[in-house]
Amino acid sequence: MVDFIKRDKNDLYGKPILGFLFKNQKFLMILKLVVLALFFYAIYYGYAHTGKDNNFTWAVFWGIFWSLFMVVTLPTLGRVFCGICPHGFMGKYITKFGLKKKMPKWLQNPYIGLFLIVIGWWGIYYMFPGIYRTPLGTAILFTVMTLLSFVVYFIYRDMAYCKYICPIGTLTRAYAKLSFTWLGTYKSACDECKTFDCAVACQHNLKPFTFDGRNSMTDCTLCMDCSAACEAVSFKVKKPSFSLFSKFQILKAEVWTFILILASIPITMAFHHGIGRSTVAGDMIWAKTAEYFKTFVDFGSINPVGLFAFLYAMLFTVSAALIGMYIASLILKTPFKKVFYSLGYSYAPLFILGSIAHSLETFFVRGYERIVEGFAQAFGLSVDIASLASRGDSWLHMFGILKWVAIIWALIILYKRMKLLDADKMRKIIAYPFAASLIIFFLSVNMYRSHILDTYGRASGGHGSHGGGAMFQSVSKDKATLLQADDSCVGCGMNLPKFYKTNHAAHLDKQTRQYCSIHCLSEEKSIKKIPLNDLKVVDVTSLKFIDATSAFYVVGSKKKATMSEVSKYAFALKEEAVKFSQRYGGKVLSFEEAYKIALNDFNKKGISKIVKPEDSIYFVRNKPALDSKKNHRGGHMMGSRDRTQIPTRKVWLVSDEINDPKCVQNVEGHFFATDVQNKPLDVKIQKRECTGISFELRDVGYYKLYYVDEKSKNINIAKYEYKRYDHSSDEEYNKEKMSAKTIKEVPFDILRLRPDDETFYSRLQSGDRVKFKVVKNRKPVEGAKVSLETQFGWQKNIYSDKDGIAEFQLIRDYNPPWDKFDKRFRENFLVTATYNDDNKSYKISFMESFRPSRDDYQSYSYGLIITLVLLVLFSGAIFLYRYRVQKPFKEVKFDE
Amino acid sequence: MNKIKNFINHADLRKFRFWLQLFFFVFFIYGGYLAIDLGRELPIFACGYNHEIAGTCYFMPLQHQLARPWETLFSVASIGVLTSFFVFLLWFIVFNKAWCGYACPMGTLQDWITSLRKFFGITYSTYTQPQYESLKKIKYIFLIIVIVFPLLLGLGILDGEWRGAFCDMCPGRIITPMFVGDFSQWSIDFSTKTAIFLSSFGIVFTALFFVGSFIKKRFFCFFCPMSAMHYIFSDVALLRLKKDGDKCTKCGDCYNVCDMQIKDIADDVKSTNILRDDCILCLKCVAACPEDDALHLDLVNYPIFKSTKGGFAKRMEIDRWEKKDD
Repeated sequence: MVDFIKRDKNDLYGKPILGFLFKNQKFLMILKLVVLALFFYAIYYGYAHTGKDNNFTWAVFWGIFWSLFMVVTLPTLGRVFCGICPHGFMGKYITKFGLKKKMPKWLQNPYIGLFLIVIGWWGIYYMFPGIYRTPLGTAILFTVMTLLSFVVYFIYRDMAYCKYICPIGTLTRAYAKLSFTWLGTYKSACDECKTFDCAVACQHNLKPFTFDGRNSMTDCTLCMDCSAACEAVSFKVKKPSFSLFSKFQILKAEVWTFILILASIPITMAFHHGIGRSTVAGDMIWAKTAEYFKTFVDFGSINPVGLFAFLYAMLFTVSAALIGMYIASLILKTPFKKVFYSLGYSYAPLFILGSIAHSLETFFVRGYERIVEGFAQAFGLSVDIASLASRGDSWLHMFGILKWVAIIWALIILYKRMKLLDADKMRKIIAYPFAASLIIFFLSVNMYRSHILDTYGRASGGHGSHGGGAMFQSVSKDKATLLQADDSCVGCGMNLPKFYKTNHAAHLDKQTRQYCSIHCLSEEKSIKKIPLNDLKVVDVTSLKFIDATSAFYVVGSKKKATMSEVSKYAFALKEEAVKFSQRYGGKVLSFEEAYKIALNDFNKKGISKIVKPEDSIYFVRNKPALDSKKNHRGGHMMGSRDRTQIPTRKVWLVSDEINDPKCVQNVEGHFFATDVQNKPLDVKIQKRECTGISFELRDVGYYKLYYVDEKSKNINIAKYEYKRYDHSSDEEYNKEKMSAKTIKEVPFDILRLRPDDETFYSRLQSGDRVKFKVVKNRKPVEGAKVSLETQFGWQKNIYSDKDGIAEFQLIRDYNPPWDKFDKRFRENFLVTATYNDDNKSYKISFMESFRPSRDDYQSYSYGLIITLVLLVLFSGAIFLYRYRVQKPFKEVKFDE
Repeated sequence: MNKIKNFINHADLRKFRFWLQLFFFVFFIYGGYLAIDLGRELPIFACGYNHEIAGTCYFMPLQHQLARPWETLFSVASIGVLTSFFVFLLWFIVFNKAWCGYACPMGTLQDWITSLRKFFGITYSTYTQPQYESLKKIKYIFLIIVIVFPLLLGLGILDGEWRGAFCDMCPGRIITPMFVGDFSQWSIDFSTKTAIFLSSFGIVFTALFFVGSFIKKRFFCFFCPMSAMHYIFSDVALLRLKKDGDKCTKCGDCYNVCDMQIKDIADDVKSTNILRDDCILCLKCVAACPEDDALHLDLVNYPIFKSTKGGFAKRMEIDRWEKKDD
């Protein structure tokens, strides 16, 4: 035993604060006592408050300790979780007064704990979802475990419960191998030691002075008792998972822990909760098997889909590991067991890092709020806090990188452990991918899961809170109250549960009419003048109908609206409304005020019109809005585009002024679209208040869309042209393919000719000359009037020459104040060609845009002047510096 | 076999390097005219702003890829980022930092500016050791700009003007297109405050590049984030610069010829792998070493270029000096 030792730099015991946290016995005692007190209080609280409103029991057990604290500390600090575990803490005292028997051989089996967690916990969890996590279930579970542990501690010595029975004992031991901490000893001091105080102090009957030599901390729980007994014990920071890079005595149960935990948590979750929430969940093998067995087995309250997802995950995972390792062992010409148990340690990072990601995400989205509220509840405090993040916040995706880290880390461990085997180098290289089979399987399951969710989408309903794509308004059918026979809105026919949180209802005579939103309600009541009374609205908090006139509306929050640009959500209690508005923005208003705002939707100063033959018609990208000055980026119901989907483009058929387009009401002509090969393309036409046309952009190149109205002798045509290009495309710029072409369905066309130097990146700029070619029945037309009008009102008319060509130079008329200047500003211009012959008149219009020229905002002269000045300045400075430093040699004379 | 070895070890490295550098300069800057395209993952400053480049500096796609919205970046789409990265790594591990000393157009240009200075007979400058120690950290700051700024952009903290922030600050963007007659990068972008800052930074850095590399050999390489990026992965590279400390006499010849002022090359007799983060693997040190086998360039443990007494004597033209003395 030594009283003083000079500690290494990387020894945490030697650090000012960390040393206190990990070594100070008084502090550790207080910490363990606090944890113990929390533990028992939470169990008591679970019995006392069995209702759903008990957040405290959840917070202590499932919010903090299990999952969050455990998975975050295990691969970083190691088994500090065990160090403060109440069972172990109490166990030490119990065991002192206990019978101190030696545990029988058949109980000395770490598989007992592993079996308990995999089957007893996860198996049950999938079969009876939600059974454990109720406050009462939690309390009972932990009471049973505590009593069991006390009995085992009392009868047997050496903390046998931790080693063999504790469901997470082997698990923590196994995953702690990834940590960057290491409890060891200073060899110089230990060599002379004759008292072995560290081993004496260890209740677990371990020998800390052998840890370094064995390259394994075995069952050490980091309780830090040994460090109090002798100063030669160190707690060092090392390279993460360094012990796995060299040999140590393997424990087979650890490898099985990695495999079975991987199967029962991430893989089953990916099956059951990931893919299980997609629209194709029913086609998966576990769902089909469950369906099959349902026909002749009565499962009672068991969830058969969960059960089979779990079983299949087990089957797939275990076979992926076994088969891959078996092939690897054949290639390596080494016994299977040796290969399997030695290389199996490479599976360690797979589960735990992904689990950190999930735990942290849950913590930021829901956990933090619930934990604080739970503690406030238990200790009678009053706090009001918001979540640290809401689901879908982009920074939460950062944690997704941990999965990749896990895979790379696993591959590195596999490489290092492969080095330890005695085999031919070539054989090792060939065997490597087979030995990595489980890692590859894990990667594939993850990718398959994202693929399924991206391609087929999430099923609506059910898990509203879990679905990233689900709307805030939606609730599942069983939660929605229907006051009428069917589930569609009286006003617009939309599904009521889908927009349930904005539902309204009213009485007409004695019949109840239910509306998707205040929009439809106000339309019927104030616009159609239907005598409705007894207005009701859904309270967002309780999801029950309340009297609308006394409700508090949050108007204009970030949560999306139903049938309107401005969202309105109602609350029964003012506090709830204020809380909501603090979190998502918006104002708390009364029903009358909200109703007035809802009516604004109908004060349209005509966003549509009936087109006369002399009006020009064209397509625009943005749907004409009520307030034409406001530029809406995307509709109020549109999500962001997914990368795996085929991009589509939606345009609107409009007429009238370039700055104030109106939707065309009398859409009587035909639509023609062409793809990049100038071949016909299917379009989706949506005729509502405004006609929207959407088409898919599969390839790179120019797409065209025409609307041809040939009803009268006045032929009126609208045209739209769009160039699709994305950087990931490897396509070469093919002039022939990209050139402007017309189609035979269109009698009269105007083509924007591509300049010779055009590439995929070319964009029109102010100052550019643009050439248009007017064709009728695919032949150039002379004397057609071509007019070009920009968004800011500049206009010019030209008659086409004998080749049908009219050439314009784009003017620079975008002159905002400098601080408002946007170099990516797209100034729209409308080109219209008209021509009369054979008693027929032809007209075609299309809109294009151009950007400011580079010369508008870039200055060469400044650039060159600055360079020249700097060149002179720097050179001068250096010259001066050298001149001063290097003094010429001078003869020094001393006057004697 | 021994003959070939002997020939290589006695070779005139200066000439070899000059012609190889010239070849790579022409190859990369004008390769586009011959429709050569090596992709966008090259570990050198072959700037993509030059439209005729035969392959693009990896930082340009890297910044674009990392600037994706986080929900896209940290999803399956990150496979694209990873494949680009692996292509970069494949390019890099073959030649290690010899990319800097032999292939990088910006490096070659600096060497030519150095020749110009020699022609005028102006002496060069060096940093003092403390200056050197603090200046060499700057390249890691630039590397952080390359990697973190696009990530912040993807998160929505920075606006779109910061996309490719390092490219805007990099002299390569301004200088490289000049060689194909494109002077459009010599400008200040007045459209936003950020653009003014970044484009002015680029201009100032370019002026510094010219003046700096005139009086200090390989001035820019001290600040090059690509050099920092190289160093992170240099341990897995196939080409390695090794030193046998037992044979070193600490004569300091290697340090004196080193363009990058790496002191370890002479002082460190313990490490076998002598490649440091500033090293450009120009091999001047190996050529200047008078001891047999003290420094050698290995291709996966197989020495391909060694320092030899004979080679040293030949390169230094010692026989001529000895004759003079006679």
